[in-house]
Amino acid sequence: MTLKLVVRRSTEIAEGIREIVMTRPDDGPLPAHPPGSHVVVDCGPQRNAYSLTNCGIDPGAYTVAVLRRPTADGGSGGSEQMHRFQPGDRVALSPPRSAFPPVSTARRHLLIAGGIGITPLLSHARNAVRWGADVRLLYVHRPGAGAYADELSELLGERAQRVTEKSEFSVLLRQALVSQPMGTHLYVCGPAALMDRVLQEAAAAGWPPQRLHLERFTPAELDPGQPFTASLGRSRRQVSVPAGTSLLEALENAGVEVPNMCRQGVCGECRVPVLAGRPLHRDEFLSEDERVAGDSVMCCVSRSETETLEVDL
Amino acid sequence: MGLQHTSVPRWPTADPGVDRTGRAYAVMSFGPDAAPLAAGWGRELHALGRTVWSWHGEAATDEAVAELRRQVEYATVGWRLMLAGPQCDVLRAHAEALRGGVLEAEITVLVTDAVRTRVWCAHCGATTLADAALGEVTGCSGCGRSLYVYHHVSRRTATHLGFMADAEELQ
Ligand code: FES
Repeated sequence: MTLKLVVRRSTEIAEGIREIVMTRPDDGPLPAHPPGSHVVVDCGPQRNAYSLTNCGIDPGAYTVAVLRRPTADGGSGGSEQMHRFQPGDRVALSPPRSAFPPVSTARRHLLIAGGIGITPLLSHARNAVRWGADVRLLYVHRPGAGAYADELSELLGERAQRVTEKSEFSVLLRQALVSQPMGTHLYVCGPAALMDRVLQEAAAAGWPPQRLHLERFTPAELDPGQPFTASLGRSRRQVSVPAGTSLLEALENAGVEVPNMCRQGVCGECRVPVLAGRPLHRDEFLSEDERVAGDSVMCCVSRSETETLEVDL
Repeated sequence: MGLQHTSVPRWPTADPGVDRTGRAYAVMSFGPDAAPLAAGWGRELHALGRTVWSWHGEAATDEAVAELRRQVEYATVGWRLMLAGPQCDVLRAHAEALRGGVLEAEITVLVTDAVRTRVWCAHCGATTLADAALGEVTGCSGCGRSLYVYHHVSRRTATHLGFMADAEELQ
């Protein structure tokens, strides 16, 4: 299913960052969604995932904020296209998908954002304030590129800390990681290096993975991986997956159709049940528990740890 | 309530070893068999330079549980709970910890005796401490009914469900 919306507004809200508001052509209601959801937008040659900044209740519009990422070859980024959208332009996007929701049993929500990674956490912050949940935010960004700074300080007051110095961020991060009450869940979104660092330091401070939630807004750089064989349980076929070819591509080449959307491990569309073998998860969609269970795999990016992976296709 | 809260826990009866991933620990042990095990954990954690709070007693009494509640209240994420003792005692402490927001992943359990059970009577609501394994029958301390110890554990109240052994015949 694809939503066909109209761009209503496009505003530069910080250096290199545009906020884009989209509604239905008739301004009718849009599907509701949990906080931290994203949509996959058709931007020219590419489809990109963008977080919705809405808290998701009764949305009349979907709002995303897009950082322009000039690429060396002049535009495979898709963000260029997003920045070119004008009011009145049509845009096609997926319905919202939830891969980064708040944990309902959390005693506190600790939000950590780097740069444009603030977008899903703005949605979390709005939701927490709406329901009176305990929330803290640590936000680091380049000087001048602090999207939503005013709104966040109005929303959260003292509960938000915003810094532009890396050294200052380090100190605040370390303090935050050793001072959260039991029952806190941590949510991080930002550049890969920042997220890796937060996860690493959190683990060192004793945070179990079940309390750590991340949203990568750029696909992780994936290595070509090891070759393996996909064994199709229902059609009793063997499909070999060479290094550098994704399981999804190999299946498609073999004439097996699998629904898919983002092809970068974020949307959740290409999930395939696993019958035997151990998946090597490389997606951003499955939860920690689902990874451990190992009974499904996002075939657009994930591979196999075992030589053969038997899937229910 | 999800399945994870109602299944009979399968906890190890051999030392699972110290979980080294935490920053601060509470070690609670119940009964004589658990004491040396807990002491061993404490020594190992001290040697690793971790903060350890230890508690030992004969059973998971109301006072013990209240003490644990205070610990959880003041704990920060990075805290771990290690429990050793008879199933009925560790189950009670475990239930208290979960109520306080502690995750299974943050609790290590060693059961020294899986026979003694706390049975919750479905008829009068009393809780009876009994030496009865699953499927056995024990008398209810509240109403005197013969209770069948059913394989359903409430992780929240730390009791096995018991219902009248001959209930079916009476219908
Ligand atoms: S196609 Fe989106 S996760 Fe695979």
